[in-house]
Amino acid sequence: MKTISVRGLTKEFMLGERRAHYRMLHEWLTPRWVKPAERTRNRFVALKDVTFDAEPGEVIGIVGRNGAGKSTLLKILARILRPTQGRIELRGRVGSLLEVGSGFHGELTGRENIFLNAAILGMGHREILRKLDEIVDFAGVDQYLDEPVKTYSSGMYMRLAFSVAAHVEPEILLVDEVLAVGDADFQKKCMHRIEQVGKHGQTVLFVSHNIQAVLRLCNRALLIEQGRLQQAGPVHEVAASYLNTGGLNQGERTYAEGPYAPGDGVVKLRRVRVRSRAGETLATVELGDELGIEMEFEVQDSSARVLFPVLSVRNEWGTEVLWTTDAGAEWHGQKRPPGRYRVIAWVPPNFLSSGAMTVTAAVHSFLPWKEHFREVDAVGFQAIDTLGAGTARGAFTGPISAATRPKLEWTVDYQGDGHLHGVGLSTSRSVIP
Amino acid sequence: MRVTPSARHELTVIDPAGVSAFRKIAEYRRYRTLFVILALKDIMLRYRQTLLGVVWAVIQPLLPMAIFTVVFARVLRPATGGVPYWLFVLAGMAPWSFFAGAINLAGATFTNNHGLLNKVYFPRAILPGAAVAACLLDFMVTGLFLAGLVTWRGYRPTVEWLLLPVIMLMTTGLAMSVGLALASLMAIYRDVKHVLPFLIQLWMFATPIFYPTSLLPQTVRRAVGLNPMAGIVEALRSCLFGTTPDWNLLALSGLSMVAIAFTAAFLFHRLEADLAERV
Repeated sequence: MKTISVRGLTKEFMLGERRAHYRMLHEWLTPRWVKPAERTRNRFVALKDVTFDAEPGEVIGIVGRNGAGKSTLLKILARILRPTQGRIELRGRVGSLLEVGSGFHGELTGRENIFLNAAILGMGHREILRKLDEIVDFAGVDQYLDEPVKTYSSGMYMRLAFSVAAHVEPEILLVDEVLAVGDADFQKKCMHRIEQVGKHGQTVLFVSHNIQAVLRLCNRALLIEQGRLQQAGPVHEVAASYLNTGGLNQGERTYAEGPYAPGDGVVKLRRVRVRSRAGETLATVELGDELGIEMEFEVQDSSARVLFPVLSVRNEWGTEVLWTTDAGAEWHGQKRPPGRYRVIAWVPPNFLSSGAMTVTAAVHSFLPWKEHFREVDAVGFQAIDTLGAGTARGAFTGPISAATRPKLEWTVDYQGDGHLHGVGLSTSRSVIP
Repeated sequence: MRVTPSARHELTVIDPAGVSAFRKIAEYRRYRTLFVILALKDIMLRYRQTLLGVVWAVIQPLLPMAIFTVVFARVLRPATGGVPYWLFVLAGMAPWSFFAGAINLAGATFTNNHGLLNKVYFPRAILPGAAVAACLLDFMVTGLFLAGLVTWRGYRPTVEWLLLPVIMLMTTGLAMSVGLALASLMAIYRDVKHVLPFLIQLWMFATPIFYPTSLLPQTVRRAVGLNPMAGIVEALRSCLFGTTPDWNLLALSGLSMVAIAFTAAFLFHRLEADLAERV
């Protein structure tokens, strides 16, 4: 028996309404023929004709780029959003963890927040009382249970919040990116918890950018690209195509002119690509080669702020391996006149480790700090290890799982045969040519 | 996991038309814990770190009563049917201050909980409902205080006093309907937020709180029952002071209460499925 059955699910958003956030009275009162242009609103198709099923006990990963429609899908299943077309059948109670700590209030104590949050997540008071000790244990905050949570450290706060969420036990659990919180130990605990949930016959839908987590937790995965279900199948196959052919590997991405490119009124993203010094776009980069991460953005309002571009690279396990900003003097403290800018960050040869990498491009400004856009996984590229003698690998041929693999300067002090007299120490520097 | 077989197999169908009304009603039952906890949270937050705590519930209606008494007592005293004017006003002010406070809080619940509505599903009407319920403690305290004063002034409890809880319940129901309607409207038109304070003030003057209905012109008096708060104040006074109620007014108020409840349910129903996109 299927616990989830989704047929032909489509969701359209009215962009005009989202922009204005609400329909204003005067617009409502204005007859159609007066302002025809404003009345025809842009539709944005967030999900198109999505169909899939899930059996009890299945843990299904949902992968795809930012804005592909993953969260919209969860929100429709959770009944936060209404579908535009299609039909969904859910068997059993549905619990959704789209954020942790929903409804948490700083003035309330830890215990009070547990009750509030658990009730919001759909638990009854008997269930909460039964699980209270377990929740407190899991979060490890027992001494502070009767203190207001505003006195908690952010780590304690997140642990408490996740702990409540982890004890929701509906037949269908929808989880969105919540594992991105907490320290490594706590994340491990949380992953274990989700595994357990799957084993007890509950169905879990799990949206994450962390492919490692998806690979570990899920049996099956769905790949969503631009609102369409691109692929559904065993998790390894889907993860492979997300990383390799799923559009993340072109090495270049251009954003349409117009209002929907990432950004705000100050600056908009236009292009991101991975390139060589010679100017060609690279989808694969050999570890021994230099690579440039290029971002083009358009400044539309120069009066605003001092802008600084930020580029970062994540590996296929979701670990950020590189973060860089333009710390040079040229534009330091300078407001940028309107127009298009192309910035390139040069990554030296023999720095990255091998694997599928994704680039996140952002522009921030100071005073006050603001993020104008942050395009996660804008482009991807494969860093390939050619096992050549010139790489940082040296003569080693085994697997390397480190996040970076720089070629460092090594010094070697030969300390003789054990009869050192403090003088005549021979030092040799060896840098692999 | 202890789930009854029926809950384990309960089927929810989601399509553009939304979920069936039957399922929704069942959900309100399931989420009753949330209703209670949200109301308790409001109460705790309201009085935590206040010096006087729940005493504020008594002070709030006392202040306008004092003002009305100073201004109008001399002119209006003869028309209250022998009831001391200040007590007459307080009997109107007690349900009114509950009602006004409750709809003021409930009306803002959807717009204020934007983040929550976008991240979690729960039956939405719980938010304004719990906001009203949270005001009930205050209402009970004012009610007891009022009953104390009435007895102190020489009125003895009668059988009619048994109706007082019923009147409180009806006021609560009315506040929930109006609160739900306001919250729904405010989610669509933020203008409601700006209009609400004036609306509440106007409504107060339209309710016979500091004047008896007998002072109104005949035509107005016939229509005053359209305001359900008029019926509540009238019913409360006749219970407390043993005066004969204006049955026409009460009947009209009852009908109007039902109409308001249906309007609120309709407005909310129209909005509910798109609430997350609206707020």
